[in-house]
Amino acid sequence: MGDVPGTLTPEREVTEEQSGDVVADTDRPWITIVWDDPINLMSYVTHVFMSVFGYPKAKAEQLMLDVHHRGRAVVSSGTRERMELDVHTLHGYGLWATLEQQS
Amino acid sequence: MILARNASGPVLRLEPEEAQLLSLLLDELTALLRDDAETNDDVLRRLNPAAYRDDPDAEAEYRALTEGSLRDVRDDRITACRAELANGGDVELGDPEAARRWLQVLNDLRLALGTRLGVTQDAEPDIDPNDPAAQPWIVYSWLTAVQDAVVHGISL
Repeated sequence: MGDVPGTLTPEREVTEEQSGDVVADTDRPWITIVWDDPINLMSYVTHVFMSVFGYPKAKAEQLMLDVHHRGRAVVSSGTRERMELDVHTLHGYGLWATLEQQS
Repeated sequence: MILARNASGPVLRLEPEEAQLLSLLLDELTALLRDDAETNDDVLRRLNPAAYRDDPDAEAEYRALTEGSLRDVRDDRITACRAELANGGDVELGDPEAARRWLQVLNDLRLALGTRLGVTQDAEPDIDPNDPAAQPWIVYSWLTAVQDAVVHGISL
């Protein structure tokens, strides 16, 4: 799993007009990122990745460790709508999740 | 607190004082979540983090669509857990819905209390059990132990 550059704002300002739906900008997938926080337990975060995404334990643990050691990890990718749903679900579990368009 | 098993699956077995403490904590969390005057509170910000970090417009739109349902779902599950505790200290976790509800509610409590305490990545401070100021830290550590036991209990 590669690291994702920090901000996508400059790129989006160029293509995103007031409608927000620009054809040229729809090719790049959206990603859901989970950020490290000092409260959520490692065992719990692993469990959430397994439950929400159906990831096998090894993958869920690796993602949890990425979050813990690198400060964040990309946990899913797809359409913007799908990522909003993932973020909403993760917020329901108390994880610190955000979505953005992949650069 | 022990994590036992019966015919229907794992059971979180709480002492009466523990069930009472948990009920009290759930009541406090319910009050906090229902108090709109505290919308800028750190705890509420932690329970309802931004989905879009760099896009205030998208965030406002997203929040308008999701915030109410997140709050209602959270309120409902706290109410359900609170009602279960009224039946005694045995919490059945065999049903996946119940297991999820309890994990989420225990996590909500840890997020709320941990945020209030300013928990960081560093080790927790040394606790003197006789110091009244240590009380919330003892509760936090206990919640951590309960949640960890539940995660492991339902993952077996």
